[in-house]
Amino acid sequence: MAKPKVAFYWNASCGGCEEAVIDLAEDLLKVADAVDIVLWPVALDFKKKDVENLKDNEIVASFINGAVRTEEQKEMAELLRAKSQLVFAFGSCAHEGCIPGLANFTNREGIFERVYKTTESTKNPEGIFPKVKTKVPEGELTLPEFFDTVYTLDQTVEVDYYIPGCAPPPDIIMNAFTALLEGNLPEKGSVLSPNIALCDECDRNESKPEKLEIPEFNRVHQIEIDPEKCFLAQGIICMGISTRSGCGQRCINVNMPCRGCFGPLDGVKDFGLRTMAGIASIFALENEENLSEEDLSKLMDKLVDPAGLFYMYSLPSSILRRKRMEEK
Amino acid sequence: MDNPTTNSAKITTFCCNWSVKPGLRLSNLSTDEEDKIIVTMCTGRVGPELVMQAFEYGAWGVLICACPLGECKHDANYKTLRRVLLLKRMLSQLNIEPERVRIEWIDTGEVAKLQNAVNGFYDAIEKLGPIK
Ligand code: SF4
Ligand code: SF4
Repeated sequence: MAKPKVAFYWNASCGGCEEAVIDLAEDLLKVADAVDIVLWPVALDFKKKDVENLKDNEIVASFINGAVRTEEQKEMAELLRAKSQLVFAFGSCAHEGCIPGLANFTNREGIFERVYKTTESTKNPEGIFPKVKTKVPEGELTLPEFFDTVYTLDQTVEVDYYIPGCAPPPDIIMNAFTALLEGNLPEKGSVLSPNIALCDECDRNESKPEKLEIPEFNRVHQIEIDPEKCFLAQGIICMGISTRSGCGQRCINVNMPCRGCFGPLDGVKDFGLRTMAGIASIFALENEENLSEEDLSKLMDKLVDPAGLFYMYSLPSSILRRKRMEEK
Repeated sequence: MDNPTTNSAKITTFCCNWSVKPGLRLSNLSTDEEDKIIVTMCTGRVGPELVMQAFEYGAWGVLICACPLGECKHDANYKTLRRVLLLKRMLSQLNIEPERVRIEWIDTGEVAKLQNAVNGFYDAIEKLGPIK
């Protein structure tokens, strides 16, 4: 019997998701034995036309990492969708937008201005910016269009499964591969990690407070962090309260609070807002009854950059998706 | 933001069942569905996701009418206030006027105050116009 065809592709990503596949180590050899890889730009020399030459649905599964921010990425996602029976959003960028999605706090113009003009190391007196088409003596050069907005994979094409994480850890990836090969995949649309909050499996959960009476939000560089105690009990925002588990507490184990890369539990519409609501309800202030709305407002100002914090991994998949830009 | 439906009411109002609903009944405010005055068991249930969903459904502004501070039986109005304060900060970072979300404290008998709160908010939002 012919081996099932599988494709790996990368869009707007850092390369960490590719590394995560390599990190499967010997298990990767088992996977490579069981499937026929038809596209994997980071490792193998197949081209776009090789995919174009396949029949529709000929690929059993495409694993696509990265957010979608250029015309080329959109085109590749659409091509792979057409050629694949199943599409997996691989990693946080494809799933929710992740760090590239923070670009939705600005737009193309803002990014180009910074990158090609105002960074301390840029010298561009002629004001040369990337263009979709450029005429040169030899003819016309083209570049894919750079979108104003970063999109998640499922805002671009239909997605069947989500493998969460920045990057997904080896056991989560292997479970997904095994389920695919053994025909054990859950219902379409599922996120392939346990539907329980990180707190529920966290070693520090016993010291997690129900109510917190701390007059300040602490940041990791401001205090010496007790490695045994729940971050929240130390006044540090930890997003494990609303984040899906499955990462093996990677950040917690190196004494850093969770920032939510595994995304929400099932049924949550806006991960950042859900997390903010949870944090806001825990931070019950001492003598709150004696505080005015203004006092409380001043205290909330001490939480630096709430949108950047609560949407660190999920701005493109939030209800608003991006910052509103002034029309010119 | 996708608009699943649009409605004619420019503001969505959430009212607490215990402190605000009695006054709502006595007021001249219309509680027809299309006027989008929604009674919830406690404003503690009006989380930021719900507020944002109202915007998603076309609201220009969202008003939350809660029991006065210290008077909520579930002590949830402080929670609501903290959430609203943070939501407003997040909205301004995303370039949406934070004044589009307002919280008002209204006691059981305060019919006129409720009416004024709704009408005053409506006028303020009308000036702002829709979210672009
Ligand atoms: S809040 Fe963070 S540190 Fe505390 S129990 Fe949850 S995941 Fe662990
Ligand atoms: S602790 Fe949170 S941010 Fe860190 S890997 Fe796990 S889910 Fe991601």
